[in-house]
Amino acid sequence: MIEVDGLTVRFGGVVPIDDMTLTLSGGTCGLIGPNGAGKTTFFNVLSGFVKPVAGAVHAFGDDLLAMADYRRARWGLRRTFQTEQAIADLSVFDNVLLVRENTQGGRATPRQDVLDAVAFVGLEPEADRRVGTLGAAQRRLVEVARAVVGSPRVVLLDEPAAGLPDDETEHLGRLIRRIPEEIGASVVLVDHDMSLVSACCETTAVLDFGKLIASGATAEVLRDAHVIRAYLGTEEEV
Amino acid sequence: MSEPQAQASDDEPTLVEAAPPASPLDGGEAVSPGAIGGHRTWSGPVRLLVLAVALAFVAFGVPGIIDRYWLQIVTSVVIYSIVTLGLGLLIGRAGMVSLCQFLLLAIGAWVALRLDYATSLPFPLLILIAGVVTGLIGALIGLPALRLSGLYLALITLMAAGAITVVLRIAQFPNGGGGFFGNSAAGGASSRLPRPAIATGDTAYYRYCVAVALLMFLLALWHVRGRPGRAWAALRQSQATAVAAGVNVTLYRLWAFALASFMAGVAGALLAAAAGGVNINQFPVQNSILLLAVVLMGGVYSLGGAVVAALLLRLLPALLDNWGVSTELLTILFGVGVLQVLLTAPGGLVDQVPKDLANLGRGLRKLASPRRAGEEAAQP
Amino acid sequence: MPDLKPFIVLGVALGGVFAMSGVGLVVLYRATGVLNLAYGAIGATGALITWSLLDAGWVPDWVAYLACIVFGGAATLLYGVLFGPPFSARDPLVKATATLGLLLILLGTMQWVWGRDPHGITLPTSRWNREIFDARVSGTQIIGVVFAIVVTTGTAAFLRVTKVGTAMRALADDREITATLGVPVRRVEAAAWLGSGIVCGAAGLLLSNLVGLDIVGLTFLVIPALAAALIGRLQSLWVTLAAGFLIGIVQSSLTAFSDVAEYRTLTPFVLAILALLFFATRQRETDVGSSR
Repeated sequence: MIEVDGLTVRFGGVVPIDDMTLTLSGGTCGLIGPNGAGKTTFFNVLSGFVKPVAGAVHAFGDDLLAMADYRRARWGLRRTFQTEQAIADLSVFDNVLLVRENTQGGRATPRQDVLDAVAFVGLEPEADRRVGTLGAAQRRLVEVARAVVGSPRVVLLDEPAAGLPDDETEHLGRLIRRIPEEIGASVVLVDHDMSLVSACCETTAVLDFGKLIASGATAEVLRDAHVIRAYLGTEEEV
Repeated sequence: MSEPQAQASDDEPTLVEAAPPASPLDGGEAVSPGAIGGHRTWSGPVRLLVLAVALAFVAFGVPGIIDRYWLQIVTSVVIYSIVTLGLGLLIGRAGMVSLCQFLLLAIGAWVALRLDYATSLPFPLLILIAGVVTGLIGALIGLPALRLSGLYLALITLMAAGAITVVLRIAQFPNGGGGFFGNSAAGGASSRLPRPAIATGDTAYYRYCVAVALLMFLLALWHVRGRPGRAWAALRQSQATAVAAGVNVTLYRLWAFALASFMAGVAGALLAAAAGGVNINQFPVQNSILLLAVVLMGGVYSLGGAVVAALLLRLLPALLDNWGVSTELLTILFGVGVLQVLLTAPGGLVDQVPKDLANLGRGLRKLASPRRAGEEAAQP
Repeated sequence: MPDLKPFIVLGVALGGVFAMSGVGLVVLYRATGVLNLAYGAIGATGALITWSLLDAGWVPDWVAYLACIVFGGAATLLYGVLFGPPFSARDPLVKATATLGLLLILLGTMQWVWGRDPHGITLPTSRWNREIFDARVSGTQIIGVVFAIVVTTGTAAFLRVTKVGTAMRALADDREITATLGVPVRRVEAAAWLGSGIVCGAAGLLLSNLVGLDIVGLTFLVIPALAAALIGRLQSLWVTLAAGFLIGIVQSSLTAFSDVAEYRTLTPFVLAILALLFFATRQRETDVGSSR
């Protein structure tokens, strides 16, 4: 449960996020919008890489913005990146262990937690292989494993299916749907693949030019005229 | 160019989208942490056996085949490999460049000497304290720049090198005199630390240094294979990755810097007890840059590269001197080496030579069987 | 309180050269991302070439002096043309480390060719003196101050007014986009390298007279210039100018206090550290995205 209140981010003359007020309830929420709408900036605010000029973010009652950036992972915030950031030098196991040893544990020893996370994404056979030797889809799965190890509370997925073929995307979708129940974390999914968003997310919010233009049940939001106009563009101001 | 920007910028900070490289030697394929050679062509147990044999030879075989002068040179190679080890870790694992390591060596020697004159602590404790104090000083030097970019850190360490040189010239090394500096004009220009009772002879001291070096390498291995190594790998990937994984970036950067400084301090203490002791003329400012050059050339991704670097720094000049070749040419060579490594071979010689040898081997095999070469050429 | 005036006057002249070098460093950094740590080494090599030419007497003196400046420009340009493009996409730390390679090459060459004997150059302007504020000021020192101001104002105007200058500012901001706009990136960068190199040569010549023609000493006089550039955040020409003068004045003034006179060359380091601490604390307050 993430409550965003009046969030505004400004870089010089650019306003990537403009007075955004939104509540992301549990389960899986989608966050969509055209390129440059502010979705990744929003994630960057949550991660602590970007400081807003106004507004507040409360997650499960805690003031997220008051925490130092690296402490948020310890609190339970996890995220994947648009450009996949699995560490090529380390093995799959070590990649996930990295997160586990710097954050709160799950139900078991670090080693067991890591194996559980690796098993969750289906990479047990490759656990000891260097990530640099894996393919793109598997590297994204490593990122997901890092995001679910231990006891995360909020998982932010930034275009996890970008560049993946349909079958891998479907596999990823099935994984994402399992996260809230099996891992116990809320998920926020940013992606351009509408079938993925429809399949995974009960609710969806839509950003355009930094403003929230729609939010609610996914199916309704995707049919909303404003949303369609934002994506396709028209001559009038929305 | 957004580096080094420590202020608000107009653009959205591109932290990850373009996957900016975090290591100064980006572009090279790093070897898995803990690999001692550059290539895992041998399996684990075989590699350990080879290392054990090599170590035995180094400790027991080498002193027997060289004379006293060369033994002293080789002792200094062993001691310097500790410094190059620290710097290699700093650059290759944590992605940070320090240009004052050589002067930290001098600080280590100074601390050990000063303590020895003031107290009667045993030698191992002197080394340890020298290391810890140097580690703290290193951490203090790096601290202001740690939140800013790596470029600022390199600049600060360059300035620190200059500063330490100045202070050293004033303070000199302790030689039994009074006062805080413990130096009196009546004492000699060189200061020598008394060796431990179990290792007073040159050969015994050489083995003592090998043992300490081995301990340092094990310390490095422990770091690289453990939690610090993983945190540093995350830092190399990108700062965003590390932060998102919960890594306290500033702490791990500081730790890397302190570790490298610690190792330099330990080496400095060992150096103070080596033949001839230490005097301030051994620590000109440019030696820190030469140190950086040989570490880059030796290879920063593998621990073995540290030994190569020390050989380049200490053995090569002695050999050239022996053959009557001017050692200034080495400075030029190392300068070229820096450019070459940064341009083409980030893994350094340790990485490059096996590759070159492998290529050479393939080339020779082709020459040996031209028919097979023709068939190979015919294949796609 | 000892009479500081003569020291301040000396310090202003020295600071002027630091400032000039600092500005040369900053402009090059802004246009190409390269912080040229070999700056002092290039200047020193040029000064030694001048010394040799003066010593040999093959050419008139003014040609020998000019040779230092020409060498500075030519050597820097050559490095920029050869090593600029291959490194252009790399981290500024890598680019700066590469210039250390150049530093070593030049240092080794200088030590090999000119050996460790002391050399000295006395510029004709040094023989011209005047009394200002009860201190003897030589022509060389006045040139140092004047050059610093002229170079800074000239460069600032150049960057703002001319096409090449504007292109350099665009490059500093975003190289890729500037290239797509049809700006001849390589040529603009070459102009930056050349300009920076010429200033480097002039600074080397002045320093060799103000401070002495010592190979290692001159090479590492890049440190005060770096400190000035660092205080200017590797961005602002005017702050770099002011910082250069400040470093020169403080360092020189400390000579008057016998207790700390020996430590005066620590000035650039101390001031730079103070500046960094100041920036670091300010950054914590306005943390817009972590920098590396």
